Amino acid sequence: MRDGIIDAMWNNDGYLEPLYEEEDRGGEIVITFALPYVDKKEIEVYATKETLEVMASMRKSVCWERWGITQRKITFKSFKKQIRLPENVNPDGATAEFKNGILKITLPKIKEKSSIKISGK
Amino acid sequence: MERITKKMKDIYKYYTEDTGYTMEKIKIVEEGIQFENPVVVQGLPDVGLVGTIAISYLVGKLNFKEVGHIESKLFPPIMVVHNGELKNPVRIYSNEEGLIAILSEVAIPPSAVYPLAEALVEWFEEKDVSLSISLTGFPVANRLDIDDPSSIGVGNSKEAISRLKEAEIDPMLEGFIVGMYPVMLEECKKRGIIAISLLAQCFPSYPDPEAAAAVIRSLQRLTKLDIDLNELLEKGEEIKLKARDLMRQTNAAIAEMQRNTEQSMPIMYG
Repeated sequence: MRDGIIDAMWNNDGYLEPLYEEEDRGGEIVITFALPYVDKKEIEVYATKETLEVMASMRKSVCWERWGITQRKITFKSFKKQIRLPENVNPDGATAEFKNGILKITLPKIKEKSSIKISGK
Repeated sequence: MERITKKMKDIYKYYTEDTGYTMEKIKIVEEGIQFENPVVVQGLPDVGLVGTIAISYLVGKLNFKEVGHIESKLFPPIMVVHNGELKNPVRIYSNEEGLIAILSEVAIPPSAVYPLAEALVEWFEEKDVSLSISLTGFPVANRLDIDDPSSIGVGNSKEAISRLKEAEIDPMLEGFIVGMYPVMLEECKKRGIIAISLLAQCFPSYPDPEAAAAVIRSLQRLTKLDIDLNELLEKGEEIKLKARDLMRQTNAAIAEMQRNTEQSMPIMYG
């Protein structure tokens, strides 16, 4: 019961939130996540037009302790993060690469504006 | 109009009283360190936590002794616990050969940059420091594709640049560095202390132990220090995870500093 209360006070239901970085490269959005202690086969990535979700199990569990208003101690086994994207993307065109503990996801933006030809002189 | 003037006065009062260049705001507490012309190395939280990781590894691996700490109301109200012992997050270490190391486990807020740099350099002068070396990183966009990060150096005088050449460390030819270290380089220059910043290619927002290893390799060439880096690279993943919270704090401090400096960036031409 006590563990349950502590879990609820921590990040996302006991999952560890990874460090991440978002970059707008014009035609695409590139998001990287730092995922130490993670193997490529343990990573799950889900994307919609508006959101990106990453879940990854760690090779070993990590005991985290922090002193604040209350002392908290939790064992983490997974990373989890859901991001609301700044612009709509085409999830089918997304690519992902994992190297040295960094997951890099490239999401092409949906082309929402087209150029209009102007007639007349 | 009156209200605006009052607000400006309030801001000025806050600035001068709480964040002004008063040394009393920074207190260096040490156990009478006395070496003949010591060398001081610094690792403060910065891009990729390169300096913090490097100095933390160095003091642990070479069994440096804790000889002091730095206190300030400008620092966040944080104390750290190591092996059950409550410690100040900004600490001073030294070894028997007269090498002093300054390590911070807390992000230095922008308001503390000038007062801390000035207080430290004044202390360096008092201790007859012969060389100040700061360890940091320079963020590169393609860091993911670099397996073996390289490092460069910035010197504050002809003598400093010549030391870099002797150690076969490439000098930074063009660019700018932001944060605590450029202020320290300049302060050291004013007081005639040779100062060098070593910078390794790094991730801007993720703890980067490989970059820390690269910067230590350059430090070894500069100081003839002998240190085995295998453990640092082997424990890379553990470090990345442990340093996660400090990296978050540091990213926030860097973002604030960037907001303050963006409009005053120099024009680059060459």
